Amino acid sequence: MGLFILRRIGIMILTALCLTFIVFWLTNLFPNLEKLAKTQGNFRMSDEAVLTYLGNNGYLQPLPVKYGQWLGVLPGYVIEGSDGQIRARCASGNEDIADAPTFCGILQGNWGYSTVFREDAGSIIATRLGLTGKLMFWVMLLMVPGALIIGVLAGMNEGSRTDRSLSTVSILSTATPEYVSGVVFISVFATATFGMQWFKGTATAAMDDANFENFFLPVLTIALYGMGYIARMTRASMTEVMTAQYIRTARLKGVAFSQIVLRHALRNALIAPFTVIMLQFPFLLNGVVIVETLFNYKGFGWTLVQAASNNDIELLLGVSIVSVFVVLTTQLISDIGYVFLNPRIRIA
Amino acid sequence: MTTQDQPIHPIALQYARDEKAGKLSRREFIARTTALGVTVPAAYGLLGLAAPTAANAQAQQGGSVRMQMEVRAVKDPRAFDWPQITYVTAGWLEYLVEYNNDGSFQPMLLESWEVNDNATVYILNVRQGVTWNDGTPFTAEDVARNITGWCDTTVEGNSMAARFSAIIDTETGQALEGAIEVVDEYTVQLNLPAPDITLIAGMSDYPAAITPADFNADTMLENPVGTGPYLPETVDVGIRATLVRNENHDWWGYAAGKGAYLDRIEYIDYGTDPSAWVAAAAADEVDIIYETVGDFVDIFNSIGFIESSVASSSTVVIRPNQRAEIDGMRPYADKRVRQAIAMAVDNAVCLELGYASRGEVARNQHVGPMHPAWADVPALPHDPARALELLQEAGMADFEMDLVSIDDDWRKNTTDAVAAQLRDAGFNVKRTIIPGATFWNDWTEYPFSSTDWNHRPIDTQTLGLAYRSGEAWNESGFANAEFDALLAEANAIPDADNRRVVMRRLQEIMTDEGVTLQPYWRTIYRHAKPGFVGWDMNIAYLPHIYKIGIAA
Repeated sequence: MGLFILRRIGIMILTALCLTFIVFWLTNLFPNLEKLAKTQGNFRMSDEAVLTYLGNNGYLQPLPVKYGQWLGVLPGYVIEGSDGQIRARCASGNEDIADAPTFCGILQGNWGYSTVFREDAGSIIATRLGLTGKLMFWVMLLMVPGALIIGVLAGMNEGSRTDRSLSTVSILSTATPEYVSGVVFISVFATATFGMQWFKGTATAAMDDANFENFFLPVLTIALYGMGYIARMTRASMTEVMTAQYIRTARLKGVAFSQIVLRHALRNALIAPFTVIMLQFPFLLNGVVIVETLFNYKGFGWTLVQAASNNDIELLLGVSIVSVFVVLTTQLISDIGYVFLNPRIRIA
Repeated sequence: MTTQDQPIHPIALQYARDEKAGKLSRREFIARTTALGVTVPAAYGLLGLAAPTAANAQAQQGGSVRMQMEVRAVKDPRAFDWPQITYVTAGWLEYLVEYNNDGSFQPMLLESWEVNDNATVYILNVRQGVTWNDGTPFTAEDVARNITGWCDTTVEGNSMAARFSAIIDTETGQALEGAIEVVDEYTVQLNLPAPDITLIAGMSDYPAAITPADFNADTMLENPVGTGPYLPETVDVGIRATLVRNENHDWWGYAAGKGAYLDRIEYIDYGTDPSAWVAAAAADEVDIIYETVGDFVDIFNSIGFIESSVASSSTVVIRPNQRAEIDGMRPYADKRVRQAIAMAVDNAVCLELGYASRGEVARNQHVGPMHPAWADVPALPHDPARALELLQEAGMADFEMDLVSIDDDWRKNTTDAVAAQLRDAGFNVKRTIIPGATFWNDWTEYPFSSTDWNHRPIDTQTLGLAYRSGEAWNESGFANAEFDALLAEANAIPDADNRRVVMRRLQEIMTDEGVTLQPYWRTIYRHAKPGFVGWDMNIAYLPHIYKIGIAA
């Protein structure tokens, strides 16, 4: 088991390296650097001024060198600018260059500087991730029990009227992407059009002070999308279990139906949905990009959109690392959890 | 302010006759006379009217307000390219002069000013008793230093230099030797080599914020030294900004009865999509909407918000950039191509589809009837068939024009209307829509795109900022020596009638060269929840935030 986890962590690091290198390469393409220089300096800089700016700020070094500096395996640049001023990657603000550390990359815990928000990228990611965490927590709280109940109810009696109607609902909710359901919810429940103005169509206030009124719609929008999918998986797994020999035996013994479902079927039926639920975390990261933008909830997804559209190199890299970590960690948890739920599976 | 017993400026008397004769609008009259140093009551007196009293006398002290507004990164005020930035910085960085909706210039950090008869000498009397919030007094040195800074053309993105080009030495790129003179502790004199009538108007514009002696744009939020009544509490770009009252500062405006009623002002960013603003208003998360546009005016009226509107010379231009290179050639350098674009588009259709007919049709000249020296120059006729012929003559019929716009409501719709009409005329047009976050990164460089322009009081101002050769904001890439010479000439003629002769020629050049499409003049709107005063839309989007209060 230990070896397995170790190997997984190795893969995680390798994936993070590959992904960040690709992002680094794309954001460091020259047109993107030019755009960055113009946002930072002036919207009407001449081409010479762009080159001086990029040169003075270390953007014109070879790609592997820049990447190495960002990682923290190569010493940060110290460049004497064309204006005679010495700039160092590791000296922030008014810090004296002599006092600055030699290495200041991600390995030293330095996430870099966001050019859009003019703040430390690490602290931005921490704040925004916290907000998204809050959103995810409530989504999970609504989605997982909801999906399991629907799935189990539908799967108890395959082909029954309950099964058909619940299946239709879950297929509908999975087939409706967030950007459709979100808009529909806002127009139905947050405007006076249908006389059902129960919720608020924006979640900006929920960042500081979340309540049912201003937070329910974004939570529902994300939760519904995943709920249908998990419910379908639960139903499939449940129907399979319900046809198993030992369930028939239990029935013949005269055990009550509710006892059969809760005691005998449920535990075995939950193995497959568990994996699906863990895999939903990465999908939720997708969903928050749309929903946070739609509801103006300034979390991780919104940050990703802002960073990408402004070519904010170091913030984008930070976002990538966090994404890799979330995806691979949830997979790891799902694999380990599987072993505990299903004794037939062994991890060497 | 000049006192009543001082002689009225002779040109002001001429303006009064012009106004009576119907040559000047009342707003323009007020703008031009107060720019010459005539007080607001005296200016109204010349018209035989009583000056209106401020409506926000009924505000109560204290309270807070939440305003929907894009929160952008602060930088050196001279490089401000977006009035929203000043709604944050105006909390502590104030202005010398304030421009109001009736066209008047009210003194702020100046107490008064006098302009000589041919507008070559400006005497600026600095308000006494003003202190910076670090305790040092505000003096003539501060005014002179700021004006010198405005004239520094080497500062990247300094748009104030265009407003003060009259006293800039073109060789050094700095203020002319001897042009800015500190007479005594509270008097500054500007000596112009040639007359310029727009300097006071320039001082009222939003990048003209007055900064302290050791101002550093990088630390302006950590070390907010200024003369104003508020301090920044938080500025999170794209999220929110908060101003709170500076309790340790005796703002000059308290004694002058200026207001600063609110204890706290919050700006909350809801992105560029107006439907998100409606959602925020319906959720009672904001009290004031920075600006309402298009169909959303009616929507905000319908949810019980109060409307404030002002007819302005704010506009949108859809301009080809003559210097833009595509595949090694300059498609819009050919005059015929630009004329073809102008002839293919019916401006009335742009107004109807793009701005729900809330404004006046314009003639692609970027000077309008609200300006004093506007000449009645006809636009190129709307003739799509001839437009296509011109395009074919130029050999550009197969060229695919990429028409860029920002992703918002009215600017996008207007640009769509232009694109549709060009396609109807047989042009090959592609539309590109860029999100607000990135659009402004190189707005002057797009080969063919739309940009909104704010109201400016005097006719030559916008022409100087946007069409003079080599200006920072010259997005059409227009460079015409004759135009530049005529513009300099117009800037030296204070009399509107005499200037009109030159303006006619300038407007003819704008039309004939097909410099830009400028389809309509906008009426601009702002909405607020009932119960607030002093939040009215400013004709030039200026941040008069000290006037906002909760109704008593």
